[in-house]
Amino acid sequence: MMTRFENAYVLDVMSDDHPGIVAVVSTAVEELGANIDACSQTVLGGYFTLIMIVSLPQPVEPDALAEQVRRAGGSWDLQVMARRAAAPTAPPPTACDRFVITASGRDQPGIVRRFSQYLAGKDINIMDLFGDRSGDEFVLIGQLEVPSHWEIRMLQADLEQMGSELGFAVRLQHENVFLATNQLRWLMPTNAKTETR
Amino acid sequence: MLRTDEILSTIRMLHAEHLDVRAVTLAVNVEDCAAPGVDHLCRKLKEKIVSRASRLVEVCDRVGTKYGIPVVNKRLAISPISSLLAGHGRGAALQVASVLDAAAQTCGVDFVGGFTALVHKGISSGDRVVIESLPEVLAKTQKVCASVNVASRKAGINMDAVHAMGHVLKDIAQATAAQKGFGCAKLVIFSNIPEDNPFMAGAYMGAGEPEATVNIGVSGPGVVCSALKRRLEQVGRATLGDLAEEIKITSFRVTRVGELIGREVAAELGVSFGIVDLSLAPTPMVGDSVGEILRTLGIDHIGAPGSTAALAMLNDAVKKGGLFASSSVGGLSGAFIPVSEDSALAGAVRHGHLVLEKLEAMTSVCSVGLDMVAVPGDTPAETLAAIIADEMAIGVINDKTTACRIIPVPGAKPGDWVDFGGLFGSAPIIEVRNAGASDAFIHFGGRIPAPLQSLGN
Repeated sequence: MMTRFENAYVLDVMSDDHPGIVAVVSTAVEELGANIDACSQTVLGGYFTLIMIVSLPQPVEPDALAEQVRRAGGSWDLQVMARRAAAPTAPPPTACDRFVITASGRDQPGIVRRFSQYLAGKDINIMDLFGDRSGDEFVLIGQLEVPSHWEIRMLQADLEQMGSELGFAVRLQHENVFLATNQLRWLMPTNAKTETR
Repeated sequence: MLRTDEILSTIRMLHAEHLDVRAVTLAVNVEDCAAPGVDHLCRKLKEKIVSRASRLVEVCDRVGTKYGIPVVNKRLAISPISSLLAGHGRGAALQVASVLDAAAQTCGVDFVGGFTALVHKGISSGDRVVIESLPEVLAKTQKVCASVNVASRKAGINMDAVHAMGHVLKDIAQATAAQKGFGCAKLVIFSNIPEDNPFMAGAYMGAGEPEATVNIGVSGPGVVCSALKRRLEQVGRATLGDLAEEIKITSFRVTRVGELIGREVAAELGVSFGIVDLSLAPTPMVGDSVGEILRTLGIDHIGAPGSTAALAMLNDAVKKGGLFASSSVGGLSGAFIPVSEDSALAGAVRHGHLVLEKLEAMTSVCSVGLDMVAVPGDTPAETLAAIIADEMAIGVINDKTTACRIIPVPGAKPGDWVDFGGLFGSAPIIEVRNAGASDAFIHFGGRIPAPLQSLGN
């Protein structure tokens, strides 16, 4: 990605959740003269996690960057990791379509592993993953980049078979049906919309 | 990135509340199939339909699978067959209908509409062939659906045609007496027939349409009903305005699904996308009922005072949601109240809560009209014609589509139960009061002139 300054770092912060963590972290990186180029934060089961891309005009040791943030957290006991954000070695471009997998059923160990191993075997990238246990039921939702050369009906058949072995209802549907029903925007026809990664 | 709650709400709508695309209808213009010889005409007709529609079912299934939304019915609609039958006779009409039946079978669609005559101002020779052949055609074919437009805002009501249709209904019922008059379920008599309606039995391709186009009928009474129930559970005190808003939002979502599917099917078939029809079309399945929505809106007995107002609100909210969702809205686009196809409505007739006159009043605020209404087989033709005339008047004066799909079930009396099977459902025979008391009115014939509303220019 294009960052404001040439020296880019990935910063990862984990903590118990409470108000003020983003303020502390952003203040700490700003005091180093860094710019926040991208960030994503979520809270899961009472735990906070934040990933940031920051960039600086001058290089800095990743450990020093992490330590600066950790110190700013004081008694909050932030777990912080930092590493240089080198340009990822991109695989050859693959034409992809966006799909959503949803699976729900009685919770048991191995659900995420079974589905993610299958997806990995098909070179399907997981862009976003959500899982939640409520009562005895586990719901898994993944937003996926599916290489366009796969026949969707075959993937659906494999996933449904896996679901039936696990007692799970599994569906693989193109993301446009979710966009159409929830978001006010024009949808590009899928035969014109093939992304590459 | 989509939010989790967005994904879950769509999953609930699609899979727990059974949202589906009720009909994908491929409309095809067949005017270039005209030929002086009927064998030649039939050969061209078959080739044209099969070449255009042979991939329809496969494409619908593939697109439906991709989005996880079943396309329940795949159908064909053709330009009015009356234009091909001018100069031919009833024998040719039956031969052409048989070819349509066979072509529909070859393409794997469940119905083909367009055995149609447009006679709102007068009856041409081709129209007359269509009308006179209807009893035999509807008795001897399985998939052919017919429609006759007898009235319009611009022309008024062709009472000669209305009278003729009263007799035709009786003849069709007799010709299909072994199936309880089922042939009449495949015929719709219209005022202001829509030219892009995807729903059967009234689908046909009107003038001004392209060579071929895909029209979509979405549905979702069950989805609307579930949304209302959820809203009532969440908010103890909701006003009708709040409930109308809920219907509107749900209708928006349903319509967007329809347009998504329709555009993709059209693109894959290489034809233009026509319209999304927003109608709430019930099926006999429990939970897929417009009557159930009325109950959720607080009408304990459908047909009780308040039923018309509740239906009017439902119909209006459906349109508003749909209109914002798509710029290609057309067809009938309203709530259907087909008695035999809606278990709650059929139940209301059985319990005496819903009578023919109240049903007619309700049709003045929704689409389509007196739909799938089974009446006693001995109802006089003139009385059937008078019922049609009343319904047409509602359409002409209010500048809307209205229709009649009435089945005079041979040998059946009020209260008897008749089962048409499948999506056509079952219903009690509804009482027709004052039968025989309109004969003189019908026998005047001629045309009820176009109303003041026709002078809009």
